[in-house]
Amino acid sequence: MAHNFRSDVAIDWCPGCGDFGIITGITQAITEMELKPEEVAVVSGIGCSGKTPHYLNIAGIHTLHGRSIPFAVGVKLSNPGLKVLVTSGDGDMLSIGAGHFVAEGRRNTGLTVILYDNEVYGLTKGQAAPTMGLGMQTKSLTKPNIFGKINPIALALASGYTFVARGFSFDTKQLKEIIKKALAHDGTALIDVLQPCPTYNNINTMEWYRKRVYKLEDDKGWNPTITKENEAEAIDKYQKAYVKSLEWEERIPTGIFYENKTIPSFTKRIAGFVPSYLSNPPAKQQVSDSNGFTIVDPVKTFKDKLVESA
Amino acid sequence: MPESDISIVIGGPQGGGIDTSATMIGRAFAYSGMNVISVREFHSNIKGRHSYVHLRARKDVPRSLKFPADLLVALDPDTIFEHFEDVGKGTKIIYDSSFENSDLNQARMIMRDTSKKIKNHLETGGYPLTVKGMLEAMKARGGIPIAVSFDGIISEVIKDGTNARYYNTLGAAITLSIVGIPEEFIIESIKYVFGSKEKVISPNIEVVKSAYRFSSSKSFASTPTEKVNRIPKLMLTGNDGAALGKLMGGLRFQTYYPITPASDESSAIEEHQAMEWIGGESSSLEKGGVTVVQTEDEISAITMACGAALTGSRSATATSGPGFSLMAEAISFAGMDEIPVVVTLYQRGGPSTGLPTRNSQSDLLFALNTGHGEFPRIVISSGDVEECIYDAMKALNYAQRYQLPVIHLIDKNLANTTQLVDSVDAKKVKVEGPAIAKSGPDFKRYDLNTKNGISKTGYFGRDIFWMTGDEHDELGHVTEDPDMRDSQMEKRFRKMETADREIPVEDKAEIIGDKKAETTLVTWGSQKGVAQDVAQMFAKKGVKIKILYLKMFEPFPSDFVLEVLSKSKTVIDLESNMLGQAAQVIRMKTGFKIENQIVKYNGRHITEDELYEGIEKIMSGKTKKVVLRNGA
Ligand SMILES: Cc1ncc(C[n+]2csc(CCOP(=O)(O)OP(=O)(O)O)c2C)c(N)n1
Ligand code: SF4
Ligand SMILES: [Mg+2]
Repeated sequence: MAHNFRSDVAIDWCPGCGDFGIITGITQAITEMELKPEEVAVVSGIGCSGKTPHYLNIAGIHTLHGRSIPFAVGVKLSNPGLKVLVTSGDGDMLSIGAGHFVAEGRRNTGLTVILYDNEVYGLTKGQAAPTMGLGMQTKSLTKPNIFGKINPIALALASGYTFVARGFSFDTKQLKEIIKKALAHDGTALIDVLQPCPTYNNINTMEWYRKRVYKLEDDKGWNPTITKENEAEAIDKYQKAYVKSLEWEERIPTGIFYENKTIPSFTKRIAGFVPSYLSNPPAKQQVSDSNGFTIVDPVKTFKDKLVESA
Repeated sequence: MPESDISIVIGGPQGGGIDTSATMIGRAFAYSGMNVISVREFHSNIKGRHSYVHLRARKDVPRSLKFPADLLVALDPDTIFEHFEDVGKGTKIIYDSSFENSDLNQARMIMRDTSKKIKNHLETGGYPLTVKGMLEAMKARGGIPIAVSFDGIISEVIKDGTNARYYNTLGAAITLSIVGIPEEFIIESIKYVFGSKEKVISPNIEVVKSAYRFSSSKSFASTPTEKVNRIPKLMLTGNDGAALGKLMGGLRFQTYYPITPASDESSAIEEHQAMEWIGGESSSLEKGGVTVVQTEDEISAITMACGAALTGSRSATATSGPGFSLMAEAISFAGMDEIPVVVTLYQRGGPSTGLPTRNSQSDLLFALNTGHGEFPRIVISSGDVEECIYDAMKALNYAQRYQLPVIHLIDKNLANTTQLVDSVDAKKVKVEGPAIAKSGPDFKRYDLNTKNGISKTGYFGRDIFWMTGDEHDELGHVTEDPDMRDSQMEKRFRKMETADREIPVEDKAEIIGDKKAETTLVTWGSQKGVAQDVAQMFAKKGVKIKILYLKMFEPFPSDFVLEVLSKSKTVIDLESNMLGQAAQVIRMKTGFKIENQIVKYNGRHITEDELYEGIEKIMSGKTKKVVLRNGA
């Protein structure tokens, strides 16, 4: 029998929450990819979004607010054979964890980062998240939002993410396809998921998005992928992705904005220094002999510090 | 000068290669068969400010440093000014004759407060505010200035006008020639320092020879030390020791964000990340390697190390006070979720950025209390380079065996102390793994059915389980059920009882010296060495002092400590902090109040001479508290 990627934990998200669509997208993607359950791990931060790992029947950590990315990097780098999903909120990843979000672009570890973009802090009752526009006033706010917004797609591009996409949580078919491509990508992927929060965000509702979203892939000329062969077009593709990221109020693009296959992942870069890294990564290495003694020779290893006999 | 015990201060501008001179000197002593210890003191500055190495060489093993120095070697005028208090009867002061007219008021790199102090000292004695004036003042204290023309000696052999490049070598060579270390040994040092750079080696050797010719012409050179049989030893700093111990202890994943004095450990791990297997069984093993990641901040460093630990890697991070503060929340997570992770905490002067390159032991109470909520942890401390090696191995073991965060304290003084380690015993500490559960669908990461509180572990990549910072059930899912909460809290703390029971008391505290001595000096960390040297000085005078040396603060050996202290007549606490933090721990855990205190918090290492005086003062009954203030 095929593995059921949904766990038996009862979901306690509000009815109508966009998070349900994301969970569906994830389980469908890993099921269709026929991944073994022990080959996948999921890491989240804190928030409504942060509960995701408990609802999935794979190894999962529900970490600290803002810290899902570095936890996930540790899992991935220690055992690079794993597919590692990150499922966190916009507050989690673009406010308290923004430093990690940006730093991950430099690393390009090979994570699939799913950003639950509801423009609010769901779990703390609807304060403005960094993705909410200036002057917006949802029902949870006593005053219009005094902050400007961060554009997650543009920020991911600027930070160096090599796969940048957007999904809509009420279009699980497209979302699932994007997640599959992201999981197959050797590098870190950002998927910004438009995720209505009917409880606190009465502006960006499912209907609001439905009227605006369109698919980049519907334009037959849209090709966001950079490979060794078309590297000459890299800047052009990057610019196009950036310009697309600016579309919002009237029409909102979804699909893959940018995919760069020419930048080595962090795991490949480590293998450049430690040749055995991919075949014998930290998680797989033996550390003692059968009697329990160290296998590391102190003097041979630190021979540069030796004061030799005359 | 006593050839069996030589104390040297060599100073110069930061970035000017003082470390290189010190390595040459230290190695030459070691090659000649002597034992050495040295400490690096430096400003938080890259180029220009005063830095120095304080070194001591002895036939037997020196464990501490002392003032006055037998030799003060000044590679710049500032060194003469800065060390005016470190000169005593018979101290030879080696300097470049061109420094003599240097004016204190022009010495911009001397900190304003220090400059004022020096000025005051010179003015009080009626000396001019120049190096010459200071040398006069030093003479009055019994110092013997020896003017050397750096350029003169170097120009004998270097004709291309690059003299300044050789000042370090010259300083080292003059020093060694004066104390009677044969030329061949510094030449060996030069070859070590410059490695394969043949073109650099030969002119440096020429400079050495010129320096030795100079010294013998002036007949400064004392009779050469007798040759001793040399055995292979490693010359390591505390940072190196911890790095080596981690590699031996099975570390395979290390994260860090650069910070003094911790990053040198991560650099040492990275430099040796390829590791050499010991042979025998391991000869057929596939090559391995430690993954070292420089992270974007310390929060990332600790959380990344935790993530790696979940896949079964033995993982760790290293930091200092400011970074450790940032790690607090994640350490609480590691406690809650029973993640085996080691944080090597290099203590430097706080609060805040404090004295970023200076010694301190002010983070003990913080290490014991970092992170919100109540959770089990183990806190250990090392006192010399050799201990750093084995303690680093033990720290990784404790983390695995008890599935919790381990904080390994090393003070800056120890991190930057260089010592010779005779032979590293690869069998002294076993590499202990955790109890691992059988794989399967019913795996419970937080299984309550465990007497010792240790639930068998599993790994991402092999098992399916969950983790959350929230209170959780046996599977790792969120719960707020009051009974499950109690059971999980109690299970977690049962591990501490187990650890306390299983870890032998010798690994927690030690009596060093005569067990029957009625005076007990309580200390921890890098004072271990100086306390021993001073106790020996007292022993020679017929005064018996034993040392209660603390190594583990959580779990704390309360019964043992109380027994020792309550049987002592005089107890003196010795620490490098202001509050006497270890004494506070003792009071809290045992109820015993230590009456006498010797502390130092100016960031400099404690020297033998000042500690001796401090103990004398307390034993004379004149005072109950002494603050040590030595050090430039
Ligand atoms: C260090 C820390 N600060 C504050 C909080 C409280 N907190 C919990 S969830 C949350 C915001 C979550 O918002 P978001 O990341 O957008 O997730 P969402 O609930 O919207 O999915 C905050 C601030 C916390 N858990 N930890
Ligand atoms: S508060 Fe909003 S984001 Fe959170 S579960 Fe409810 S609807 Fe979803
Ligand atoms: Mg949110």
